Order: sequence, then C-alpha cells, then structure tokens
Amino acid sequence: MTAAIIQAVLLSLTVAALYAAVAAGLTLTVGVTRIINFAHGEFVMLGAFLTYWLYTRFGLSPWLGMLASGVALGLFSMLVYRGFLARVLKQDEHNQLLATLGLSILILNIAIILWSPDPRVMQAPALLPSAQFAGVTIPGNNIVVAIVGLLLFLVMLGIKNHTRYGTQMRFASDDPALAMHAGINVDRIFELSFVIGGAAAGLSGGLVALVLYVQPTVGVDLVIRAFAIIALGGLGNIPGALIGAAILALVEGLISTFVPGGGSWGFGVAFLILLLVLLVRPSGLFGKQVHA
Amino acid sequence: MSAGLLARIGLYAAIAAPLLRIAASDRPFLVQVAIGTAISAILALAWDILSRTGQVSLGHAAFFGIGGYGSALLTPVLGPVLGWTVGILLCGVVALLLGAVTLRLRRLYFTIATLSFSLSIHVVILVTPGLTGGSTGIMPPVIAGGSPPLQLLFITGCLVVAAVVSDVFLGGRFRPAFFMIRNNPDLAAASGVPVTRLKILAFVVSGMVAGLAGACYCGLYGYVIPDDVFTTNWNVLPLAVTILGGMDTTLGPVVGAVVLRLLEEVARHLVGGVGYQVVYGAVIILFIVGMPEGLVGFVRRLIRSRRRQAAEPGQASAKARLAL
Amino acid sequence: MTALSIEQCTVAFGGLRAIDDVTLALPAQAITALIGPNGSGKSTFVNMVSGQIPPRSGRISLGGEAITGLRPDLIVQRGLARTYQVPKVPKELTIEEVISVPLLYAGSGRALPGGARNAGDLARYCGLRPAVTTRCGQLSVSDLRRLEIARALACRPSVLLLDEAMAGLSLEDTEQVIGLVREIHASGVTIVVIEHVMRIIARLCGHAVVLNQGRLLAEGPPQEVLRDAGVREAYLGKGFSL
Repeated sequence: MTAAIIQAVLLSLTVAALYAAVAAGLTLTVGVTRIINFAHGEFVMLGAFLTYWLYTRFGLSPWLGMLASGVALGLFSMLVYRGFLARVLKQDEHNQLLATLGLSILILNIAIILWSPDPRVMQAPALLPSAQFAGVTIPGNNIVVAIVGLLLFLVMLGIKNHTRYGTQMRFASDDPALAMHAGINVDRIFELSFVIGGAAAGLSGGLVALVLYVQPTVGVDLVIRAFAIIALGGLGNIPGALIGAAILALVEGLISTFVPGGGSWGFGVAFLILLLVLLVRPSGLFGKQVHA
Repeated sequence: MSAGLLARIGLYAAIAAPLLRIAASDRPFLVQVAIGTAISAILALAWDILSRTGQVSLGHAAFFGIGGYGSALLTPVLGPVLGWTVGILLCGVVALLLGAVTLRLRRLYFTIATLSFSLSIHVVILVTPGLTGGSTGIMPPVIAGGSPPLQLLFITGCLVVAAVVSDVFLGGRFRPAFFMIRNNPDLAAASGVPVTRLKILAFVVSGMVAGLAGACYCGLYGYVIPDDVFTTNWNVLPLAVTILGGMDTTLGPVVGAVVLRLLEEVARHLVGGVGYQVVYGAVIILFIVGMPEGLVGFVRRLIRSRRRQAAEPGQASAKARLAL
Repeated sequence: MTALSIEQCTVAFGGLRAIDDVTLALPAQAITALIGPNGSGKSTFVNMVSGQIPPRSGRISLGGEAITGLRPDLIVQRGLARTYQVPKVPKELTIEEVISVPLLYAGSGRALPGGARNAGDLARYCGLRPAVTTRCGQLSVSDLRRLEIARALACRPSVLLLDEAMAGLSLEDTEQVIGLVREIHASGVTIVVIEHVMRIIARLCGHAVVLNQGRLLAEGPPQEVLRDAGVREAYLGKGFSL
C-alpha cells in the first residue's frame, strides 16, 4: 500500500511537471497580453506530432525533436500573432476568447483531416534509464518529463524575472499605456511573450510525445487543465502555475489510483477545488488581490 | 412606446414565420435543421443576456445539460408541465449558486471558473449512475409524440419566449443598468444600481433560458448521453453564434444561429466528414477580423453612417466636432 | 446643522493608511472644499464616504443616519451622490439612458433640482447641448463632465461630492460649471468640491478642509485655511502658488 502511494505520488509529480510545462508558457502569455489562448493546446499537439514525425520518419532523437518543435512552434506563433491575433488585441475580451477558440477548432480539425484522429505511440527507446526510488520504479521517460518540464518552467521564470524583456513584459502588462510612454514597444513585447509561450508549447509537445498518445485531440484536455492551473496559481504568476500543476496532478492522480472507478473523477474534483479556491481567493492562490 | 411594441411583435413574427413555414412543409431534413438552429438561437440568447452584465461564460453547457436532464428525469414523476418547470427552475437555482460564487471573479477568472463548472457537472453526472444514468445516458420523454414538425412548432414557441425575455432585459429598466455594470460597476453602484443583485438576476435568467434550450434538445429523440449535452461544443456555440450575429441584441443571436448553421450545412455538403468543423473555425476567425461587431452590429453601423452622410453638411461637421 | 459627519475614520491598504483617523463635520447647505496635495487621500476620502472602500474603523453618518459599511448603492439611496473625476460611461449608451439609470434605481424621494422632471430636463439643466439621444461615445470631454454631474443629480442627492469636476476644462466651460454648482447649491444641496485650483475654491466655497498624508491638516474658512503655515508647507515643493 505504501509503495502504491509513493508510486502514485511520484508519477503524479512527473505529470505535474508536464502540466507545469504546458501552463508556464500559457501563463506567461496570459500575464502579459491578458488573452487566454485556447489554441495553446493545439500548439502542444503540433509539437507532439512534430517530435513524433521527426523520430519515426528521420530517426531524430526526441531530445533534438522537442527542441526543434519548440523552435518551429515559436515561429508558427509569430505567424499566428502577426497574421491574426495582433488584429484582435484591441477588441473586447469575448471576441479575443472566440478568436483563439476559432483558431483551436481550425487547427484541431485540420490535424484530424490530415493525420486521422487515431492515437499513435512513439516507440522510441526511453531517453533515460528507469529509476528505483523507495522501492518503486519510475519509467525513464517520466523522469525526462519531470526534468525538462521543470527546466522549461525555470526558463520561463528566468525570462520573466531576470531579463530586460521580462522587466518590459511586467511593465507592459501592468500598465500598457504607461509602458508605451516609457518608450517600450508594447506591441513587440506582446508578440514576444506570445512567441515564447508558443515555443514552450512546442517543447512541452515533445514531452507529451514521450508519455502520452500522440493524437489530434491531445491538446484539448491539456489546455483546459492548464487554464485551471493558471487560475489556481493566479494569472500570470509562474511559480503559482507550478504549485497549481502539483495540486491538480496530485488530486487527479491519487483519486484515479485509489478511488474505484475514479479515472474520470479526478478531473472533476480538480475543477471543484479550483472553484473553491477562487471562492476564497478570487485572483488565485498567488495572484495579486485587488482592492474594490 | 406602442410603435416599439409593434416593432417587437413584428420581430417575433419575422423570427417565427419561416420556422412555421418549414414546419408546414414536407421536408424532414429542413425541419431537423430548423429545430437545431432554433435550439442554438435559444442557447445563444441565454448567453447574450448574461454577457450584457460583462459576465463572459464558457460554461453554458452546464445549464443546457441540467435543463435537459432535469426536465427529462422529472417529467415521468411530475408530468410534463411541472417537470419542465421544475427542471428549468433547477437551472435557476444552480445559476444562483454559481453566480454567487463567481460574483467577485474578474474577467478571465470568471470565464475559466464557468468552464471548470461545466466540466465538474459533467463528472457529477458520470459518477451518479443511480440518479442520472451515468455514462449510459437516459431516455427522456419525447416532445410532441416524436413528430418533428410538431416539435418544431413547440420549439419555435420556446424561441419566441426566449426572445421576449431577451427583449425585457434590453428594455429601459435593464439595458442601461446592465451596460453600466459591464462597463464600469463602480459607476453603476454610484448610480444606485444594486450591482450584485442584477448580476445574479442576469445569471439566473440566463441559466433558465439555457435550461429551456437543453430541455428542448433532450426531448427530441428520446435518448441522451452526457456527452451529447455536457460538451465543450455547447460551451463554445453560444459564444460563436452571438458574436457572429451581434451581441446585445435579440436579433443577433437568431441571425447568428441561422448563418452559422447555413455555413455549416454548405460546408458539410461540399467538404463532408469533419471538414465542416474546419470551416466553422475559419468562419469564426474571418468574422472576428472582418466583422468584429457581428452581422447585426455591422448592418446597424452601415445604416448609421448612411444617415450621417445624408444629414446636412453643417450638422455633420457639428457632429464631427462633438466626436473630438 | 451637520450634513455629513465622519468620526475617527481610517482606511488602510496593507500598511499604508490612506485615511488616518479623520474626524470631520461638514456643515449642511454649504459648499465645502476638500483640498490637499496629490496622494493626500482626497480620492480615497470620496471612495470611503460613498461606500466604495469602507473604512477599517470609524463612523460615517449622513444627516444623522449611520451609513458606515453600507453598500454604495444604498448610500446613494440615502442621499449621497458623487461624481467621478474621469467619468467612464458605456459609449453605446445615450445621454438619456445614462441619466435614466439613477432616476430608476436611486429613488431617494427628493425633488430634482431646477424643477427637472426627466433625463432631458436634467441634461439641459447641466448645460448639455447635444440631443439626449446622442451616444456617449460621441461626447466631448466637457460634455462628459456635464453628463457626470447630471447623472449624480439624478440620484436626487442631499449631499453631492464633486471630484475635480472642472479639471481640464476651458475657462469658459469652467465658468459655466461654477455657475451650475452655485445653482445646485441654491436648490438646497450640500456640496463638497475637490479641487486643485485655489482661485475656484476661494470664489466658490465657504468652508475648506485640508488633507495631508491621510490626516486632517486644517479646517475653516478658505482664506484662513490657505494662510495656515502647515498647509503652505504641505504644498511646498510642488510649485504651488495661490
């Protein structure tokens, strides 16, 4: 029983790292642009497919594959931003919401047509050997996910807190008008945050290919969880996203392991927790609470 | 006032007439399309009523489903009239509770919370098979003995009811107060508006109208599974329909439902399979970029700029000065 | 006779005391000026009195009736209205619709000033020239200011707080608004004016209250208050001249 608990907790934590990777990019973008990008999940899906094709067609190691996915999706995000999202920035929030939903539907269904809805498994050898910990075995790919997910998360944090762009991003999101007066090119900062978010999505897509089925709908559930996570942690708060991811993954993992038939429960309970947290703290656990 | 009332009755007639004409026709496919369109329009009207207070919901599938399940499960016990009434009232109660919980949430948090709520309700249905049939679904009593033309008649009536409700909340008592709440809640409160109460009122009414749409939907074929109603599709649809048609109006969601359905059918015919979903996404994107205020808003703006051009040059320049 | 009394009120954001133990009694039927340098707590004062930010401690009463901790809309119903410095009205609403909101919801039972009976009358009373069916998105800044005063008057207030209602207006517009404030005052409304321009205060107000760093610094007739050494010091370094 103890071993089972430890196993469930450890596996949940690796899942948490994956969630954190997906959510970190999203919360960076949301924190700056105030747009919740529903297509973020499809960006993750595209990253997963790219890593998968690169391995199965060209034998490219998933290590390199996920890097390539990050770069590719970063570029793709730039195209999406310039061609489409920049035009939506000044519109009302519901229009922005619908815009990214439309994008998500479009990409998802093109992928279904092109690649069929069938799930695929990337049968690459594990990138790292599996590890024994307190008597339980953690598969190597889960360790990769945990490590790369955390690294990606730290990179996001580093960009936001320790670079010139990060400072400008925080400035631009706090008060775009003032930032503009201060000579910051707000448009470019918005674009940059979107591109970084997209690159993070592509890279986390590579992680998805390691541990989940590669299929067009893989991003849908992930992005919905990512929304819950970033709301739980406070929109735009990157460390908050890590804790949100851990809470969500643990609740989900433990319930589905130990509650009979709880496979679908966990999902719902996680969202109930989000509702309860927002009831007490309307801006998430670590979000800025605003007066009045 | 009476001219306004006449115009409104004209609007309801204009909405109902084509649907009734289709019901009287002998074209089963068209009847099915009209039924689907009318249900989308009711759900979109529900969403629009809420959005007028600045609450952008992405969780209306919850009310759609609760209304459908509620009416379906209660009708055998209470009879159709009371069953539907209680089922829809149940939506109102749930909306009241959710509205109270999400009241303090700011924009994106509100949207994410409503989305989460709809997912949670889906799970609640799945884990209570004793009460709700779980994933195997339920068999709701069918509307109008399962005759599609009669069903269309009934649903047309429901659509007119939803349109009347929408118009009540576009009247002088609510429209300015709602817009003020959406735009600047502090200013609304400083004008004596009980902001909290009106936001929750909008939520309750919106939830009940969405429940009505769900009740209509579930009563169509006599068999419903949770995935039919508690899906993201019903969360997104009212948003897409309303924004494409034009927000803050009664005509907008109806026009949006018709246009979206037409495009969908054309795409299904031309592309087939899931191809129409691609068109769905593309249409949304094109509309947002090209016609962000929706069809009705776009036409209104055209008419207004026509009028301005038609006005005397002196008056036009005075207006231009005012605009500065 | 006191229209509005504030007893030992404190508003704090975290550690910062934006209003620090302020006790005040505003005389009824007067035009009182509320002055102080930037960040002295004037806006917080208005937000506190109007119920938007309830005080952490202390008591507020309006015409002898306690309004401490009441919701803003209920305070409006008791007869206290305020204007906003930068009025953000929904641009799709018309002048008439904006004024109709308090007419419908803030029924305090008092009569409207100037014998006004509806939104159109109030708009004219406040000197709004555009037709009442004009959308707010098309109004000039000075018309938006007038609309904001009309909206506040539609609350049928006994006490009216004007938050920099004349800031950024042309000389001509300012004169008109001063005339309007006098007229509103003459109709029996107690007025509190938050202003930066001392010239206006000296002409308009019979009573002045000075806030500095959230504390009450001085109170009395404007001429005396402005001569007060502490008040001069508070304004010093801001390039302030009388």
